[in-house]
Amino acid sequence: MEPETDQPKAGGCGVGGHRKHLAMLERLSKRSSSSSPASDAGAGASPVDAFLSRFAGAKLAAESALSACRASSPEEDAAATASLAAAAAAIDDIDRLVAEASHALPPYELRAALSTAADLRAAHRAAASELRPKKSFSFRNKSRAPKNPPQDPATALPPPPPPPEQPKPSLDPILPGLGFRGRNGATLVKDLRASNNDKDGDFTLADLVSCEVYLKGKCRALYIHRLRDCRVFVGAVLGSVLIEDVEGCTFVMAAHQIRIHEARATDFYLRVRSRPIIEDCSGVRFAPHALHYEGIEEDLRESGLGEETGNWANVDDFKWLRAVQSPNWCFVPEEERLQAVDISEGHEQEDGIMFSFA
Amino acid sequence: MGLLSIIRKIKRKEKEMRILMVGLDNSGKTTIVLKINGEDTSVISPTLGFNIKTVKYQKYSLNIWDVGGQKTIRSYWRNYFEQTDGLVWVVDSSDIRRLDDCRAELHNLLKEERLAGASLLVFANKQDIQGALKPDEIAKVLNLEVMDRSRHWKIVGCSAYTGEGLLEGFDWLVQDVASRIYVLD
Ligand SMILES: Nc1nc2c(ncn2[C@@H]2O[C@H](COP(=O)(O)OP(=O)(O)O)[C@@H](O)[C@H]2O)c(=O)[nH]1
Ligand SMILES: [Mg+2]
Repeated sequence: MEPETDQPKAGGCGVGGHRKHLAMLERLSKRSSSSSPASDAGAGASPVDAFLSRFAGAKLAAESALSACRASSPEEDAAATASLAAAAAAIDDIDRLVAEASHALPPYELRAALSTAADLRAAHRAAASELRPKKSFSFRNKSRAPKNPPQDPATALPPPPPPPEQPKPSLDPILPGLGFRGRNGATLVKDLRASNNDKDGDFTLADLVSCEVYLKGKCRALYIHRLRDCRVFVGAVLGSVLIEDVEGCTFVMAAHQIRIHEARATDFYLRVRSRPIIEDCSGVRFAPHALHYEGIEEDLRESGLGEETGNWANVDDFKWLRAVQSPNWCFVPEEERLQAVDISEGHEQEDGIMFSFA
Repeated sequence: MGLLSIIRKIKRKEKEMRILMVGLDNSGKTTIVLKINGEDTSVISPTLGFNIKTVKYQKYSLNIWDVGGQKTIRSYWRNYFEQTDGLVWVVDSSDIRRLDDCRAELHNLLKEERLAGASLLVFANKQDIQGALKPDEIAKVLNLEVMDRSRHWKIVGCSAYTGEGLLEGFDWLVQDVASRIYVLD
């Protein structure tokens, strides 16, 4: 059998806006390479290498401080606060490094660095609000003021959660993917049908605590990372959902594939075309899809998810390769199951933080 | 060329190539294999263990091993290395968060002596998704230029969803492997 031959022209898959940003980045990096590179490059190393190694160091520091903060028990408030301050200082370091190097960095490195910094900020905000849930923070992302001078790491008191600014705000639109990141106690609504993209995109939910998420419409791929005590309702995913590191959550969604890694004490109400898989999970439960909003039937049908396949019950535990039932998952008992949830009433808020890239 | 290797080539079953498909889970390996074989790609369950497919491609018969990419089984990849002619590394170009993981696994794999002679095709898959990184960006983040000079490799952007790029990639891989192992043609 010969493979199909309807191959479109190579390189024909760019999107105008995206291209323009890349071109701009390219110009930026060219311009800077003709001017003099950053002066503090280590002896013998290129400015990029020097940047990458300092960046990696600061990233490691931020990550370990954040995980120390997350790991501290409620009684060790002081320890957690100190870890949080250390994380904030490290993240400020990162911002400064990126800002300094931004002209000398090639496009990918710049984008990756910005996105890492944004993720760390988000994780920091999530940790901070978990620690002091009573304080309310403003995450408004409208201000485009230049970056504050970096925090002195020796400052004893925890800094307030730093404003989610980026060294180069004008580059926002090229950060990867739409999504909700780093929120606590919020109701997050996105209607994908309203966006006028010329092709479907992916969507990301990351570092959310105690949030309600309503995602109406269709997307191509959904990435979910680090959610705690959230309830997530999703219309239709034309490709796969990849879920990693969630706890105490409820998901109601329809997709072609669902892969669940490191989920604990979480319920899944699914319609899925292939067998859902779990890996490194415990206490996860499954039930049939139960979601309603105006137009969901159409979204499901157009995504090839119009029919119930019964696959929600055919869970494969990749960590339990035996004939007997895996101890890691079970069904949600019928009497405990959610009634069909109607999310028609959820509307996008106009607070400018729906696409919280910061 | 040494006599032994000539003999080995003659002894090979005619026009057969062994291709190993690897990459993180969810990158689209199984979809790619089904697509080039003209099969239905609408329902694909995640792969546990591996699938083997024999695909007729031009005048060759490709023996494609599609190995599951889950963390649990990455350590078993090595069981499939023997006599691999071509290596296809598939990347989900829209899963930016796991690219570090992806790079580490790839470079681990390339250290493997039994794969030293294999041609490497990197598929930057899912180009149909808005926001996916382009092949040259993937090449940078995967640090492909540090590869041993003796390795034949190429990166191609593709979409298993639309089929774009798949033929370009496999054409290159098959030609490259063929020019090494079927010199006696
Ligand atoms: N949008 C899009 N989705 C894809 C593409 N290739 C694969 N997928 C989806 O990605 C998911 C994982 O694919 P699969 O072949 O099972 O990945 P594997 O684990 O590497 O074998 C499936 O839901 C596919 O439909 C692609 O090129 N574009
Ligand atoms: Mg597979």
